[in-house]
Amino acid sequence: MLTIEKLEQYGANTAEGLGRCFGNESLYFRLVGMIPGEANFPKLQESVKAGDLDTGFEAAHALKGVVSNLALSSMLRPVEEITEKLRAREQADYTDLLAQIEERRAALEELCK
Amino acid sequence: METKFRQARGLRRNILVVDDEVINRELLSFMLREFYQVYTATNGQEAIEMLTAGDRVYSLVLLDLKMPVMGGIEFLQIRHQREDLKKIPVIVMTAETEAEVRSIKLGAADFIRKPYNMPEVILTRIERIIELYEDQHIIASTEEDPLTGLYTKAFFFQYIYRLEQSNADNCMDAIVMNADRFHLINELYGRSAGDDILRAMGRSVMRILMRADGIGCRSEGDTFFLYCMHQEDYDWVPDVISEELGKAGSSATQVRVRVGVYQNVRREILAEDWFDMANMACSGIRENYTRNVAYYDNALHVRALHQERLIRDLRAAIEERQLKVYYQPKYNIRGEKPRLESAEALIRWDHPQLGMIRPGEFIPLFEANGLIQRVDYYVWREVAAQIRRWKDELGIAIPVSVNVSRIDIYDPHLEENLLSLLREQKLSSADFVLEVTESACSEDDEQLISVVGSLRSKGFRIEMDDFGAGYSSLNMLTMLPIDELKMDIRFIREMSKDARSLKMVELILDIARFLEMTVVAEGVEEEPQYRLLREMGCDVIQGYYFSRPMAEDVFASFLQREISA
Repeated sequence: MLTIEKLEQYGANTAEGLGRCFGNESLYFRLVGMIPGEANFPKLQESVKAGDLDTGFEAAHALKGVVSNLALSSMLRPVEEITEKLRAREQADYTDLLAQIEERRAALEELCK
Repeated sequence: METKFRQARGLRRNILVVDDEVINRELLSFMLREFYQVYTATNGQEAIEMLTAGDRVYSLVLLDLKMPVMGGIEFLQIRHQREDLKKIPVIVMTAETEAEVRSIKLGAADFIRKPYNMPEVILTRIERIIELYEDQHIIASTEEDPLTGLYTKAFFFQYIYRLEQSNADNCMDAIVMNADRFHLINELYGRSAGDDILRAMGRSVMRILMRADGIGCRSEGDTFFLYCMHQEDYDWVPDVISEELGKAGSSATQVRVRVGVYQNVRREILAEDWFDMANMACSGIRENYTRNVAYYDNALHVRALHQERLIRDLRAAIEERQLKVYYQPKYNIRGEKPRLESAEALIRWDHPQLGMIRPGEFIPLFEANGLIQRVDYYVWREVAAQIRRWKDELGIAIPVSVNVSRIDIYDPHLEENLLSLLREQKLSSADFVLEVTESACSEDDEQLISVVGSLRSKGFRIEMDDFGAGYSSLNMLTMLPIDELKMDIRFIREMSKDARSLKMVELILDIARFLEMTVVAEGVEEEPQYRLLREMGCDVIQGYYFSRPMAEDVFASFLQREISA
């Protein structure tokens, strides 16, 4: 069950996220609850691991959009970082960033239960 | 005025949100849904399909750039080539400055940054872009009525059309406002007084719209149209109007403004027709000075449709001789025994679908629109032929009264037409009695006096019909060269119950005697009426007491019996 406190602890700017929802908590929680199931997470993980940086960028970019709109700051940091690297098609080791992102996703999923 | 209208609750424009991310679509839909009707598409391709489906008009597209199938840039490229899509403004939603430049080159109107600004900012931007585009569109054809500052009619209907695209769910009312006898104001007080009144009416319209939220125009002359949110009633409107007229000077306070309202307009019919319906209600109280606001109702509509049908069917009625002439005998009662003297031609319409239609249903209608002239001419022709047949077949000559409507009086060929009809049947002017209704007469009507005088000099007897029902003065009787006065049927009906009616009958008989005119009483149904009229000195009687109107064949047998008796 999500609460404002839990999301704050997780690392979300709930004031900002709620503001976009006209302060409507149930809408905010519902939208946040959709994040862990986002198809772009597995898409990002799989394409980057397979070396398909174009698809990886698309997925990262899409995630950045929704995560930033919901003001999930602690998740936004690694997502933004990987988006910029992928935009430049940087041939780098993405293992750590992908792990961070997956850790944040799983933590949020746990929070939503 | 229109700003208020735009902001009115419930006036919802359609916005298309194009984003592949369900969270973004939901978030935006939630932000916008209070003010707009929000639709969503998941990519550019789907967006184009929705925008061109033709089932609704979109006021704005909110476009994400990165999407599968067709992204935002490709959408903008296609839009750039297509006039139908270019009319709809696009706001691009992006986090990339570089993409912004590219989008603007492709015709995007504005940007919304991701992450989104606060909803208030987004709403303001959206509203600004929509207004900008709509104004650009409208300015091209904007015409303001210079006198009142209201819209012109053409622009008003264009605006309604636009409003309807985003507003078809709201209950709306159509209103027509019209000043009585406005042309007289211009004539009596001069054009500038007339203009003051129109300006006052214009201010009234503005005030009404302030309260009822809507738009208004001066349609033409002294007629104003209003289109506004539905109100339970408009009984408060005359006060607003008289207050504004009061500010326009003393001549204005005498102006009567009628208001016709068509509530909850039906979207299946054209906007122009809404105002026809309101106008119908407005015209319905022209003669009713106790009411200044009237509401359209369906009975009115059914009646109008019926009248339209009668107008449409008149030509066939004449060609196919559906109009039947009936004859009612008129008896001279001056002698010892009543003596058949003449007959009056009366008309019935035997309609193939509607059955027998009473003259009361169609005569006033055709009098109002001038078609009565055709009916009159038809009757004259039928009657002339009939008189000829009676002469030939029965050897009986009986004069018949026929109606001459006011519009006939102004026909320069009237006399010639009548005489040539008679010549065709080898008849003379003594065979026709011409009935002119009192309401067709006015004292200072030189045309009437000279036409009637000339007809009389050609040997026609002239009868004034319905005398006492209208407003003619006694003076007119001395001016107008007539032979017979037919008393209004109401005096005859009322005279046995009502002393005043009886007094009127006596008075008319006295006047007629003094002016040496014959007096005809119609609608005589009972013996006491007959006896009373005879005692008072009435000359001629027509009515059920002697006989009801008869079809031509029945009347022929009746004639034979009368003559042989």
